[in-house]
Order: sequence, then structure tokens, then C-alpha cells
Amino acid sequence: MTSVGDRAEAWRRRAMSLLLWLLYIFLYAPILYVIYASFSVDIVWPFPPSFTTDAYAELFDNALYADALANSLLIGLGSGAVSTLLATAGVIGVLRYPSRHRGLILIAFLAPLFVAELLIGISSLAFNARLLGLPGNLFSAIAANAVEGTAFAFLIILAQLVRYDWQMDDAAMVFGAAPVRCFWEVTLPTIWPSLLGAFLISFILAFNNLEISFYNLGAIPTLPSVAWGSLRFGLGPELFALAALTNGLVFVLFAVMYVLMRTGIVRFGYRGG
Amino acid sequence: MAGADLKTASLSLQSVSRHFGPIRAVDGIDLDIGQDEFFSLLGPSGSGKTTLLRIIAGLERPSAGRVRVAGQDVTELPPYKRRIGMVFQNFLLFPHKTVAENIVFPLRMQNVARAARDERLRWAMKLLRLEGLAARYPNELSGGQQQRVSLARGLIARPAMLLLDEPLANLDRELRAEMEVEIRRYQKELNIPFVYVTHNQEEALTMSDRIAVMRGGVFEQVGPRDDVYRRPKTEFVATFVGQSNRLSGFVETVKNGAVAFAWQGHTLHVPHQGDIAAGDKAQFLIKYEDIEVAGAAGKGRSDHRSGNSLEGRLRDIIFKGQTANYIVSLANGAELIASASSRDHKVGIGEAVSLRWPETSGMCFRS
Ligand SMILES: Nc1ncnc2c1ncn2[C@@H]1O[C@H](COP(=O)(O)OP(=O)(O)OP(=O)(O)O)[C@@H](O)[C@H]1O
Ligand SMILES: [Mg+2]
Repeated sequence: MTSVGDRAEAWRRRAMSLLLWLLYIFLYAPILYVIYASFSVDIVWPFPPSFTTDAYAELFDNALYADALANSLLIGLGSGAVSTLLATAGVIGVLRYPSRHRGLILIAFLAPLFVAELLIGISSLAFNARLLGLPGNLFSAIAANAVEGTAFAFLIILAQLVRYDWQMDDAAMVFGAAPVRCFWEVTLPTIWPSLLGAFLISFILAFNNLEISFYNLGAIPTLPSVAWGSLRFGLGPELFALAALTNGLVFVLFAVMYVLMRTGIVRFGYRGG
Repeated sequence: MAGADLKTASLSLQSVSRHFGPIRAVDGIDLDIGQDEFFSLLGPSGSGKTTLLRIIAGLERPSAGRVRVAGQDVTELPPYKRRIGMVFQNFLLFPHKTVAENIVFPLRMQNVARAARDERLRWAMKLLRLEGLAARYPNELSGGQQQRVSLARGLIARPAMLLLDEPLANLDRELRAEMEVEIRRYQKELNIPFVYVTHNQEEALTMSDRIAVMRGGVFEQVGPRDDVYRRPKTEFVATFVGQSNRLSGFVETVKNGAVAFAWQGHTLHVPHQGDIAAGDKAQFLIKYEDIEVAGAAGKGRSDHRSGNSLEGRLRDIIFKGQTANYIVSLANGAELIASASSRDHKVGIGEAVSLRWPETSGMCFRS
């Protein structure tokens, strides 16, 4: 026998899970649709289903895309590395050496998060090219992307490292580890998962970025800028394939992270004694 | 054990201070510790014990003063050049390293050859009875085992001295009692000074040769443990070490260093510390076990000139194991506690009793 309360509870659960599914559809329907459409014969109206890999063939035939992919990967890796490095140094500084101005320092690190990417792009262009007279190239694109990347990486690393016990480093130093050795022996082995997480995020940010890179690169193609450019000729099938592949890559990255976490090979966060 | 003279002093602090803004965590400490001493820093929370230990280890820079270890001025040396071992309150074992890797860490940092390392590891594992645990990770150990690993890591590199910061605070009672004996044994075996921080007076009294009682960044008293226990220099030390009755009264006369102390219509003859004069308000503190309880029948034996005696009624007996606390209500409403063996209590609850103690017991301080 179920009471009225039980039935109300059951309805509430059903309503909640419906809401949850609506949310997932809202988030993922466009992405899944693009993947589905990229394998379809008719991209504009892919119903009823009939599949082909023509779109991918077209994408791989176009040398411009290969070039753009290489550039985007370079920007992603470069900006990811720079961002992670700077953010790690920043977080360690803020947490290990407390100062009265800690709040201000935090804000200074995080502020780029609140600036539109477009403006970061324009500012870097104005500063690098006009004031310093630097040519637009991959390096200035990496640097400009790392502005935003550092802020994101800082946030991610900070969230994990507030739980790190710096007395661990004190212990290592008492037992004879000089600062650099201490970092390699004790700090890094404990915190590297959060550094990896920060690297992945800042890599993806820079890899996918259009606005910041666009202003710093001029004629050098990246995946987003080529995609943007080819939009002028309409939504071609190769763009569907590109979108599907990029999303697929990100999915795979996160799936790998998830599996690593579930199997306990990697712990995102501090592993307490 | 007498205080070490400078020649043999293994650790020497010269007016060491550490201020955090307005907080004087450590304020002008002078101290010499000898080569074979077990020295305890005893004090309440926030008294500066950890800060002082961190200064010795080099983890904290003193605002003023010098630190010497084995005759060498190490004030400017970073911690990793001091060759000091340390055992931390929460163990601080490296979570990603096995027991063996944790223990040999100090030797690896000194680039000791592998063969020598392995030999030392065997020695340390045997000393601390850790055989069979070498491949475990710290989170797979019990609290007592983590404690011993932490001690092994502290001792393996033959440090000039071992610092211990409340190493037993997180252990249960039984294990703590066992480790107290063990730690004391290691110190005697290795013949290096141990500086042991605790806020537990029993721990300090059990293990130490000398004790410094610390409060507000300064030493209230430094001395052999019996002195600190029997002859407290300040009211704070008398209260903090051991369990005492406290009587508030005033000084009637001071003669030949003996005080006639007026308390609720009684005159007690008591020893005193520090400046004191007739008419001063004063506190008299006497340890539970310094008071003797006797049935009122024994009254005739008491000689008022050679001791103090108060009459009362036994209100309750609190069983403490080997000893018991006898709570006695006096006619004036005050209650005093006497502690004695729990075996042979000669008086029952509700009976009339007399409390006695010699004129040399307890200590009187001006308040
Ligand atoms: N880094 C710091 N910044 C500011 N104040 C500090 C710092 N470290 C310690 N203090 C202050 O110095 C005083 C002494 O602290 P300390 O940790 O040495 O005390 P303790 O005797 O070890 O206490 P406990 O028994 O609780 O461990 C405290 O008032 C503490 O708040
Ligand atoms: Mg402390």
C-alpha cells in the first residue's frame, strides 16, 4: 500500500528527472545533431537517415584545414603550457606566502575572465603590433590566448591547491630537500593532476578560440578562423565534419580523464594520508 | 640533570624572538640544551611552542636573536642545511611514497649511496618495529604505525637533534603511554638531544629530563622536572603542572622565608616564591597528593607547630584507578581535594576527617 506522501514523492522524482533530461537535451542536442548530420548524404535536411563519409573526405582533401589544424594545435599546446606554468607559479605564491594584499592579487589573476575575448584580442593587437611593433604571428597569438588561459588555469589550480598542506614542503625541507628538489619530490607528485586539468582546459580554450587569435594572426589560418571564413560560402558539409571531429576530440579527452579518475590512476585533488 | 654549560650545549638559543605583527609568539627566549638531554616545552595552546620549534628547525626566521646547533651559528641557514630531524604533529608522511621511501627520504636528499641507505633503512625499521610494512602507503597504516614511520624518518639520517611537535596528540591513550616509553628509550639509545613539544603535562613529566613551561612566548620556568613539579616559580606553573587546590587569602607575616597565610579564619604556614610582604593578597596552591586525609580519630597525633591541619567532612571519593580523589567539605563551606592510594581508604563518606600537610608543601604567590 502506498500512502499519499509516497505518491507525491514519486511524482516529484519523475518531474525532476524530466527536468534533468530537458537540460541535457538543451546542452547536447545541437552537438549530437551536427555529428549525426555530418555523416548524412543530405546535410541540409538529413531525414530519413542515409549515411556517407563524403563530408570527411572533403575536409581531409582541403589542405587549408590541415594547415589550420596544425596552427590551432600549436596555439593550444603553447598557450596551455604557458598558462599552466604561470598559473601554477601564481597559485603557489598566493597560497604559500600569504600577504595582506592577497585579495587584490587574486582579483588581478582572475580579472581577464571578465573581459570579452574580442577585447583581449584587440588589446593584444594594439599593444603588440602598434606599440611594440611586433609582427602578428603564432607567438603573439599564444601569448594573447594565455592571458585568458592563465586566469582559467589559476582558478582550477587554486580550487585544488587550497587543500594542499604546505607543511608537507616544510617537512621535505627539514629533511634536506632544497626548494627545487622539494617541488619535484613532494609538491608536484601530489598536485600534478590539477595541473593536468588546468592544462587541458586552457589548451581547449586556445584551440577553439576565434577572436583572440584572429586579431593576432592576420593571414595565418586556425581551425576556427578557416571555419569562420568558409561560412561566407554557406554551411558546407566539411564544416559539419570539422565540428563533429572537434567535439569528438574534446569528448574523448574528457572521457579519458573520467576513466582515469574512476580507476583511481589519477586523483583530481589532494590525496590525504 | 643540571643545565648544560655552553661548551657541551648542543642547542643554544640567545634572546630569540618571533613577532607576527603585534603578536609576540616567541619573546626573548634564552636556552641551552645538552647533548644527552630530553627537553620538553610545555605550555597551553598559543603559547609559542610550535613557533619556537620551527625557529630551531629553520622553518621560521627569528625576528631577533641567534640559534646555535652543536656550536655552529645556524641562524642564517635554511632548514635543508641544518641536519635536524623532526616529527610533526600530524605526521606529514608523503602520501605518494611508500613507508620505505618515506623513511629513506632524508638519506636520498643527502645523496647517500643505495647500499648504505638500505642498511640504515633496515636499522630504522627494526628499531621502530616496522618490519613487513615497507611497501605500504601511509593511508594504509594505523595511527600508531604512521607515528613510528614518522619517527623513523626523523631519526634515520642521524640528525644532530630531534624535534618533536606533539607527536602523540593524535593517538589513543594506551598507544600514547606505550610510545612515551619508547620515545624516551630511543633518546637514551641514540644519545642525541630531543626537544619535545606538548601541552600535556603528564607526557612532559613522564619523559623529560628538563622542562620549560611556556606562556605568551616566554618561559615561566625552566628546570629539572622535579623542580617544575615540586617548586613552581610562578602561580601559572603551579596551576598548569599537576592538579592543585587553590586557596585565596592574604599574608599575615613573613618570617625567615616562611609565610603565615590567612585563609577564611585559619592561619596556614606555607613556603613562598617571589617578593611577598605582610598584608599582600596571595594565592596558596597545593597539589592534591600533598594533602593527607586521616580519620578524625587520629586528631590527637597532629602537632600544630610542625604542620597544617584542617577539619572537615568527607563528601565523596572519586575513583581514579591507582589513586582516588577525596573531596572534603570544610566547616566554612570550602572544598579541598586530597589524593591518595585508592586501596586503603580508612574513612567512609560522610565521616569527619582531618586534612594535614607539612609546612614545606605547596607554594604561596602574591596575586
Ligand atoms: N604565521 C603566523 N602568523 C601570525 N600569527 C602566528 C603565526 N604562527 C603563529 N602565530 C601566533 O603565534 C602564537 C603562537 O603560536 P604557536 O603555534 O607557536 O602556538 P603553540 O604553543 O604551538 O600552540 P598549540 O599548542 O595550539 O599548537 C599564536 O598566538 C599564533 O596565533
Ligand atoms: Mg603547536
